Amino acid sequence: MSELTFTPVIGLEIHVQLATKSKIFCSCSTDYIGAVPNTNVCPVCLGLPGSLPVLNAKVVEYGVKAALALNCTVNTATRFHRKNYFYADLPKAYQISQYDLPLAEKGYVEIPTEDGGRYHVRITRLHLEEDAGKLVHEASDGRLVGADQSFVDYNRGGVPLAEIVSEPDIRSAAEAKEYVARLRQLVRYLGVSDGDMEKGSLRVDANISVKCSDGRWGDRAEVKNLNSLRALERALEYEFKRQSQLLAEGKTVTQETRHWNDVEGVTMATRSKEEAHDYRYFPEPDLPPLLLPDGYVDKIKETMPELPWQKVDRFEKSYKLNETDAMILTEHIPLADFYEACVKAGASPQRASNWVRTEVLRIMNEQKIEIEDFPIKPAVLAQLVSKVDDNKISTTAAREVFDMMAARRISLEEAMSECGVEEGGISGSNLENMVRGILKNNADVVEIIKTGQDKKGKKQKFLQGLIMKEARGQADPKEAASVLAQLLEE
Amino acid sequence: MELFELSVAQIIEGLQNRTFSASEVFKACLNRAKMLEPRISALLSFTEESGMAQAEAVDKALASGEKLGPLAGVPFIVKDNMCTKGIPTTCASKILAQWKPPYNAAVVDFLDEAGAILMGKANLDEFAMGGSTEHSAYGVTSNPWKLDCVPGGSSGGSAASVAAGYVPFSLGSDTGGSIRQPAAFCGIYGLKPTYGLVSRRGLVAFASSLDQIGPFTRTAEDMALVLDVISQKDDHDSTCSRRSRPDYKKALRADSLKGRKIGLIKETLGYKLDPEIKEAFDKTVKFCKEQGAEIVEISLPTMIEYGLPCYYILAPAEASSNLARFDGVRYGLSEDAASLIDLYMKTRAEGFGVEVKRRIMVGTYVLSSGYYDAYYLVAQKVRQLIKREFVNAFKSVDTILLPTAPTPAFRKGELVNDPIQMYMADVFTLPVNLAGLPGLSLNAGFSKDGRPLGVQFIGSWWGEEDLLSIAALHEKAYGTAPIAQGGVC
Amino acid sequence: MAVSADDIRHVAALARLEITDDEVQAMHQHFEEILGYFNRLNELDLEGIDAFALKVDEEIPWREDKAVQSSVREDALDEAPYRHGDFFRVPRIVEED
Repeated sequence: MSELTFTPVIGLEIHVQLATKSKIFCSCSTDYIGAVPNTNVCPVCLGLPGSLPVLNAKVVEYGVKAALALNCTVNTATRFHRKNYFYADLPKAYQISQYDLPLAEKGYVEIPTEDGGRYHVRITRLHLEEDAGKLVHEASDGRLVGADQSFVDYNRGGVPLAEIVSEPDIRSAAEAKEYVARLRQLVRYLGVSDGDMEKGSLRVDANISVKCSDGRWGDRAEVKNLNSLRALERALEYEFKRQSQLLAEGKTVTQETRHWNDVEGVTMATRSKEEAHDYRYFPEPDLPPLLLPDGYVDKIKETMPELPWQKVDRFEKSYKLNETDAMILTEHIPLADFYEACVKAGASPQRASNWVRTEVLRIMNEQKIEIEDFPIKPAVLAQLVSKVDDNKISTTAAREVFDMMAARRISLEEAMSECGVEEGGISGSNLENMVRGILKNNADVVEIIKTGQDKKGKKQKFLQGLIMKEARGQADPKEAASVLAQLLEE
Repeated sequence: MELFELSVAQIIEGLQNRTFSASEVFKACLNRAKMLEPRISALLSFTEESGMAQAEAVDKALASGEKLGPLAGVPFIVKDNMCTKGIPTTCASKILAQWKPPYNAAVVDFLDEAGAILMGKANLDEFAMGGSTEHSAYGVTSNPWKLDCVPGGSSGGSAASVAAGYVPFSLGSDTGGSIRQPAAFCGIYGLKPTYGLVSRRGLVAFASSLDQIGPFTRTAEDMALVLDVISQKDDHDSTCSRRSRPDYKKALRADSLKGRKIGLIKETLGYKLDPEIKEAFDKTVKFCKEQGAEIVEISLPTMIEYGLPCYYILAPAEASSNLARFDGVRYGLSEDAASLIDLYMKTRAEGFGVEVKRRIMVGTYVLSSGYYDAYYLVAQKVRQLIKREFVNAFKSVDTILLPTAPTPAFRKGELVNDPIQMYMADVFTLPVNLAGLPGLSLNAGFSKDGRPLGVQFIGSWWGEEDLLSIAALHEKAYGTAPIAQGGVC
Repeated sequence: MAVSADDIRHVAALARLEITDDEVQAMHQHFEEILGYFNRLNELDLEGIDAFALKVDEEIPWREDKAVQSSVREDALDEAPYRHGDFFRVPRIVEED
């Protein structure tokens, strides 16, 4: 009997919080993180009787921007619908969303594949809707199940969301991770969202089913509670295994919602006592149709910033960088800007690329800071790098100066002075004096050489090493060797 | 003439001329109301203290020569489904017993800014669902002309208070006839404006695409004065038009209906009407002719036969969604419950009356999976058909005349247990809401046993001025209706 | 389309209305009557009618993106049937196993 193989079929539903100042249907602030509960609320987002929604213009703009960047067709005539259901975090007992006519459709996200190729994950639709409030559960573990009571905070209720649904084109957990990473980068590039999974401004729900090589195709499971890219990847890998196992054993996979437990590393079926929701969608009568005026989409197109792949392309061409390096530098706009400022201030593109990718990122990691707070300004880094470009100081010396500036937050001149680094390197009488000093401190080694016992020249090499170390690369090795030899003769 | 018998215009004039003070007017109205309330039960609450304080403030301002708002010192009453800040707004339901909104409805703010003085909140059919004000959780309102009859509904309390002389004007809301029908039953003017003319912000929604707030008055001039104030634009209602509003008072100056075309709906002419209603209707047709209007027969086949089912699918559907927010969590009644689902089930079962439950159930059903296409979608299409017929009709006429209701006020208890019979009474009013048109009911006489007989004029979209001019001419010809005494001489 | 007592119970559950057997009976009766009226709409020719045309007679402008602090917070929380400090409280949402 031939062995069965299994293929995952994955689709992702992503909710992106749009970073507008006010909510989608009222003027309350969207800044709910850390805010005192129920302070950014008004009759509209509390669902008080008699309240009415009024659409935020910026939400439309950000929605269209995201749609364009996702290569979608923007529908210029759409409408809002009411999605009716009862839940503690939903004040009106309906969510204003979009149903049969989403703001945008039929787009794609391009992701790199493991074999170095490119793959399009198609996007079915992008639509606008309002977020729900937040629940705090009174249970020992803070979880929903078994909590005797819960507390509702409507600060988040009404924050604008763009829901982005992909086709089930994703073929592995790794691809899923890549898709989310690209999408996250995109919304940050556009400035339409913080795209932060931990903070909840980018939320991912995954749908995964498994196809068997013998033709069977299990039902799909919806996986929720994925709070990081890592969780997404692990959860999908787990689900794939679980579902494949069931199919291998001849069992069926139930269509259900499963909750990812990051601590245990498993997905668990959620207990849903209710029957499947009947949302009773109907067009929202409190809002007119959403009609984008003539030229609106074109105008947004004009204000689109450079997108990630465009930046990578430009970096490759203008700065003669390879794709990998270009992708690292353009991962976040602030880092890309930092790099470009460096080059503009005179650093050679290639060397600046090396420095930013290695040294700058290293310091950022060590000090746990963002590029915006980097202690060395691009222009200053450019100065340092230029010195290396012009052979005025060695790379090694430059690194020391760099580290000193990063650690002590002092100027380039001060750091060079502190490190004892001089331009032009150590040569001539300075070099001679330095070598003399080293010979003095290693008199026993000198003795061995002078008495002809250094047959293989190892000791001399050792001294050479000390000299180069002391010089911190600022001495020309040939000159140092010759001075050493000379002084040893004495 | 008693102070409570004065119209809005007369109060304004009297205050200007220092004939009397705002405090005197307010006290007179208050006393009138208190005297008749035991018989009529039009009100759910009084705002006596705040009202008196406002009246005194108006007097002070008058004395110091300050510029006052256009309705300064005029007492008014508002249907209890419109939010009044810090003042209980119950919608005549147990589920909102003693709920105090933290904000005013837009129209309340507008009237407040204009200097008008709130005197109380009026009874209604619970959540505006009904045609008799018998479905209130807080008691039945009586028709001031005949106490054993209903005042109409759902704005029965608002209509009764104006008819009985509590106040010169009040506000009601109209979703399927809830201003016009009580106006007809109570012998006063009741206007449902074009959908989108008056802001719905702060009106507890029944059916969002059909609801409109409108005034009850005893004179045509008062109608224009109040409409001027409440029809202001409001950026906080996305269905409220931003068009500039005309000065409605100008419409009162019409001196004839010459050149005007008044349409009679072929399909209503054969409808079984109470004979006295028919008489009043015929009399009004004659009046229009006498004023120089041309009478044109128009055909609106769909509205009479199919308007009712269309409305009774759409209105409950929207209501089922609008009333879902009453769940015991943020305001109102909240039953003891160990689980969230119990909280919902028990609170709503306990808090809603039987007619409201009926409509929520029907509305939920017609939106539910498997039935949306058969009912809701079909009804929306029929609505478009009805609207289209009106569009065509208004190509050949300016205004349409038809009865407001097929009968005068019926007796209490007569229809309350027969919901569908009750619904039938809306046959002439609800198509107007479906099309979003303005409609005015005016008094065209009294039945032999003293019940008012109303007729209805329907204007084209934004055609309030046409309606006001007709009302002004009608009043000139027939005089202002007297104030109901509520069984008291 | 005929409606059954179970349908009525299902609708009541959707609408979160606790309903007694008597009420189911009465509601069932009402439904039967009113659905009869509704079905009359099928007599009409609705061919080609767009129920939700995507056009407007008047453009209502969108709202400017400005955050404004509302003042209703305290009043709104005060009106809560069960206020818990800064929160609205609800009883158990999901039963324990």
